[in-house]
Amino acid sequence: MLTNISSLSRLVSEFKKLPGVGERTALRMAFHLLKSPSNLTMLSEALLEVRDRTHSCSVCFALTEDDPCSICSGNRDHKAICVVENPQDMMAMERSNAWHGVYHVLEGSLSPLAGTGPEDIRIDELLKRVSSGNVEEVVIATNFTVEGEATALFLTKLLRQHKVRISRLAHGIPLGSDIEFVDAATVQWALQGRNEI
Amino acid sequence: MRGNPEKVRGIVLSAFDYGESDRIVSLFTIEHGRVKAFARGARKSRRRFGHALEVFSRIEAELRLKVGLCNLQEAMADKTFIGIRSDLAKICNAMYACEAAECMTPEGHPLPRFYRLLSSYLDHLDSEAATESDRRFFEVNMLNILGYRPRLDGCACCGAKFGASGAVVSARGELVCKGCGEGRSIDAGAISLLSESLAKGRFGVVRFAGEELMQAGVLLDSAIAEHAGKRLKSLEFIRQNRF
Repeated sequence: MLTNISSLSRLVSEFKKLPGVGERTALRMAFHLLKSPSNLTMLSEALLEVRDRTHSCSVCFALTEDDPCSICSGNRDHKAICVVENPQDMMAMERSNAWHGVYHVLEGSLSPLAGTGPEDIRIDELLKRVSSGNVEEVVIATNFTVEGEATALFLTKLLRQHKVRISRLAHGIPLGSDIEFVDAATVQWALQGRNEI
Repeated sequence: MRGNPEKVRGIVLSAFDYGESDRIVSLFTIEHGRVKAFARGARKSRRRFGHALEVFSRIEAELRLKVGLCNLQEAMADKTFIGIRSDLAKICNAMYACEAAECMTPEGHPLPRFYRLLSSYLDHLDSEAATESDRRFFEVNMLNILGYRPRLDGCACCGAKFGASGAVVSARGELVCKGCGEGRSIDAGAISLLSESLAKGRFGVVRFAGEELMQAGVLLDSAIAEHAGKRLKSLEFIRQNRF
């Protein structure tokens, strides 16, 4: 029946392209929007607005509407850069309210299996920022996956050629968890990175 | 290949995210060889999967076997190779071994000897420095176990024994005598080291160096490219970044 209404069929198939949305959810969303035309208008306007107004910051490559972004142009510590893989990671760091420096979004990570090399992510741009001479510290906050670790190791090798303090986010036992339920590798990492108190 | 969940031991060859919280993984298991499995909720459930589904982790898993995509019910990391994860060259070599296994092994066919080779290579990388010599040792033994062993005692074309002048590597990754084909030369010394690699069962015993390392590399790279049917991405990465 849906094939008779080509516009609805197209909307459903577009929804299905979104992560985690299947046929039934896509249908439910489409019918929900059809019931309230004002919501449909607002959604379509929001989609067009986000397409037209958002882009990458020319300094840190975070998602922004202004250039440079509010963090790069704001009153932050520009001598300290936190390197993250993607804008979502940057948002997570911002939620913590613990970082007062600026960011650099790599837009990916090194992946020998996927064939993603150093030239495919924003490493050159980071090195240019660091070699400008105004940077004193780089905090590498790539993910703790094999690809994230590979990226961190590669960056460390390159950044050692510059006079900057390099650090990596600590990793270990999550807040509020019991040690008996933590896996062996995490306990091993936590012991290796233990702090004197 | 269908039934109740069963416990398997294996090495994660590759894993990629699917949808919001699932992952599709490729495992090389002792019991069933290479299998592809669907791990529902793998990115959310720390209890069922933890960090086990990372590339080259050695895991114990509960697998429901099916034709095509199996169901991975839960997995626990047996060894995550922290030594490998703290060195970029080791990561690249470990990923290369996994990619080679993924491309060259048949699906659903148990190959315990190959599992042992892959597992020993990862153990070796975890504790020793990553060297091209060890990678070549892994490659020649991999080709041997998978039935792609290059003929080392004589010409692949006419069968003539190789003399002291060695042989040449054909475009198909075979050793031929100088009368049967043209290609990069390979000395008798390099051929002898390749034969020795097949006789010795341990990493670090046979050492390729200098010209012999380069010549053995030419043969093994072309043989692997021929049998895998493509250039391996991780090998290109190793070459470009000189690991």
